Amino acid sequence: MKKKWISAISGLAVGVLASTVFFGDFSPKQPTSTASAKTNAEKVYVPFGEKDEYYLFASGGHSGQLFVYGVPSLRRIRTVPVFSLDSATGYGWDEHSKKMLGGYTWGDLHHPALSETNGDYDGKYLFATDVANSRAAVMDLKTFTVKDIISVPNTSGPHCAAFVTENTEYLFLPTRFAVPLGDKYESLDDYSTKYRGVMSAVTFDENEQKLNIAYQVALPPWSYDLSDAGKKVSKDWAVITTYNTEEATTNLEINASKEDRDFIVLFNWRELEKMVKEGKYDTVEGQKVIFPEKHEGGIYLIPVAKSPHGVDVTPDGKRFIASGKLAPLLTVFSFEKAFKAIENKEFAGERNGIPILKYESVMEREVNPENALGPLHTQFDDKGMAYTTMFISSEVVKWDPNTGEVLDRVPVQYSPGHSVAAEGDTVSPDGKYLVSLNKLAKDSYLSVGPSHPESMQLIDISGKMEVIQSAPVDPEPHYGQMIKADKIKTIEVYPKDEKNPYAVFNQKDTRIVRKGNEVHVYGIAMRSKFIFDAKAKRPDVIEVNEGDKVFIHLTNIDRDEDITHGFAINKYNINIEVQPGQTNTVEFVADKAGTYPIYCTNFCSALHQEMTGYLLVKPKQ
Amino acid sequence: MKKAKLSISSALIISCAAVLIGASLFFPWWGMRFVAPQYPEGLDIIVYPNKLKGNIDIINGLNHYIGMKPFSEESFPELSYLPYVIGALAVLTLVVAWLRDKRWLFGLIIVFAFGGLLGLYDLHRWLVDFGTNLSDDAPIKIEPFVPPMFGENRIANFVTNSYFSTGAYMIGAAFLLLILPLWKERK
Ligand SMILES: [Cu+2]
Repeated sequence: MKKKWISAISGLAVGVLASTVFFGDFSPKQPTSTASAKTNAEKVYVPFGEKDEYYLFASGGHSGQLFVYGVPSLRRIRTVPVFSLDSATGYGWDEHSKKMLGGYTWGDLHHPALSETNGDYDGKYLFATDVANSRAAVMDLKTFTVKDIISVPNTSGPHCAAFVTENTEYLFLPTRFAVPLGDKYESLDDYSTKYRGVMSAVTFDENEQKLNIAYQVALPPWSYDLSDAGKKVSKDWAVITTYNTEEATTNLEINASKEDRDFIVLFNWRELEKMVKEGKYDTVEGQKVIFPEKHEGGIYLIPVAKSPHGVDVTPDGKRFIASGKLAPLLTVFSFEKAFKAIENKEFAGERNGIPILKYESVMEREVNPENALGPLHTQFDDKGMAYTTMFISSEVVKWDPNTGEVLDRVPVQYSPGHSVAAEGDTVSPDGKYLVSLNKLAKDSYLSVGPSHPESMQLIDISGKMEVIQSAPVDPEPHYGQMIKADKIKTIEVYPKDEKNPYAVFNQKDTRIVRKGNEVHVYGIAMRSKFIFDAKAKRPDVIEVNEGDKVFIHLTNIDRDEDITHGFAINKYNINIEVQPGQTNTVEFVADKAGTYPIYCTNFCSALHQEMTGYLLVKPKQ
Repeated sequence: MKKAKLSISSALIISCAAVLIGASLFFPWWGMRFVAPQYPEGLDIIVYPNKLKGNIDIINGLNHYIGMKPFSEESFPELSYLPYVIGALAVLTLVVAWLRDKRWLFGLIIVFAFGGLLGLYDLHRWLVDFGTNLSDDAPIKIEPFVPPMFGENRIANFVTNSYFSTGAYMIGAAFLLLILPLWKERK
């Protein structure tokens, strides 16, 4: 026995020695990577004067806003109002934003999505959806302002949107809550027949800066949760997870968790597009709606572990990975296998007129990291490795989609929902960083009472995963997009739009025009005064009669970087902003007689305090 | 003076001067750069013979605080005829090169030098006008001042730097080229 040990050890020693002699590297050690030699503080420190490497766009949830951070510093750079009023920027008071908001004062912003060209972020636009009021918005990344918002009829709560196709042909908005078409009243007893989970195909017209609904699909009355568009080989396809295929109408916690399997909806948007062209649709509420039970093709179901959350397409476009929220495992599916199954019509029956593919014929492997609970959402790095957030076990797990092997794990604090990797859902993720969007922070930051902030944690994924920075967040980020900073090309000043009939670029052209009981003011703001009518005795005064309808068109003629003016009227609930070179309009009825000071809200110069005027509303005789 | 023709090489040198004069029309002649803490990138007034370039609107916006009149192309009538004057000078120089007559060259140099001095005087006149005719209504009162034609100065929080630019140097070079034949063919 002893002898055996000795010979084993000596054998090993010889082996090690031999291998060292023959293969050993005796050259002086180079630091393996400069990053690993850095402390975490150094990795995230961006000195003043230097800028972050990435923009992080984090959805602001029911704040209706979008949060813009720099990565790696995790400094919050800007809050962009999208679905809610924002008095800091006058969003919701000027005519354009007021019209866009359409009377709603809040929204629930989920899942921002960057526009893409060839499956890569092009840095032009960002789309977002409102779960609360079924809307979609588009933000221009030249100005970081919202250009258009549309309401989507026949749906309620596009939670798993927006996701855009490879060349931003469409952004799809599947809905979380099944409702009767046209928001009509229907008894919940007729849920299975009268309710639908409609998905909308939305297009964006870049020239007009308008969103439009191309068509809708009346999917079964289930809840649609997350989705992703295909890439490369799967570019014409997209996948959506769905739960409550039980079609329960009450106590969903129990009743929507009964079946062992829910579905992934797999669809080919090129085929749906063709169906619409061929007239295979009904018109409902002015929308072209495809009913899958009437027109077959283009849509398939794949069984998946129950109540799935995320479904994410790998960067090469060959696979999609579903996370089973309640069944703690990840399933890797193959697009190729799915295509083959569709071609061979290998169906295991149908549900609501939609063919079901066999789980086994599409599934590649199931991955179940030990004790990892509550897998939600997966992102990717530059080597195609997957990073999945585990809601229940509060960690991020790195694993290999090719083999299912678990490679690394890191705890986060606590309960991560989504995560976002640098360009992590494109055809070419950058690796390097992953941000975990955690739902709870407990005692991570200075206390602000019982309501704790949410938290974002920056994870260095260039080597062994390591949390290197944390930042508190206002409620409540759901998802993010992280884009290389140099892809975004902002403008500093609005270009002079000589064709805008409301713009005034010369003080001399300012004027107040009366048309019956309408008063149109064509004014300017400049450091440090308002001029509404250059020829008037007091050019900074607007005098109207009680009951007049007042239109104020204001141009900021300071075409100088960072000189924004505000325009507010005391006690009239009016507050707008004009950015450098911009023309903006506010419209109101002067229904209160009296004297109301006007002032610039946005600090603009040493004489900002003097930048005032008066609205005089003459009482009715 | 003997009525000897200038050499061919001198005629070529004078032609070069003509080309420089003509080409100078397309380059800035003079400029002023304003730098302040809020404007580390600097604001520019760039003067071409026929136009103003740079951050004129922004500078006007700032100048109104000290009551300076706004700059615009309309406020400088010179910009409308200067290109013709310079063009004519270029043509005249070409004619002189073709004539190869020393007396004509001499005359041209005198006209040239006189024109140059007049130009400098004109620039100075404008600088005096803008810097000293400040509005009494200005929110910020400062002592009237004359921005230098060349070199550094301070106005309020701005450090200004005035300089002659490419076009002016081309004219200077042209002037030297005109003198060169006189020196070369001195007896
Ligand atoms: Cu102001």
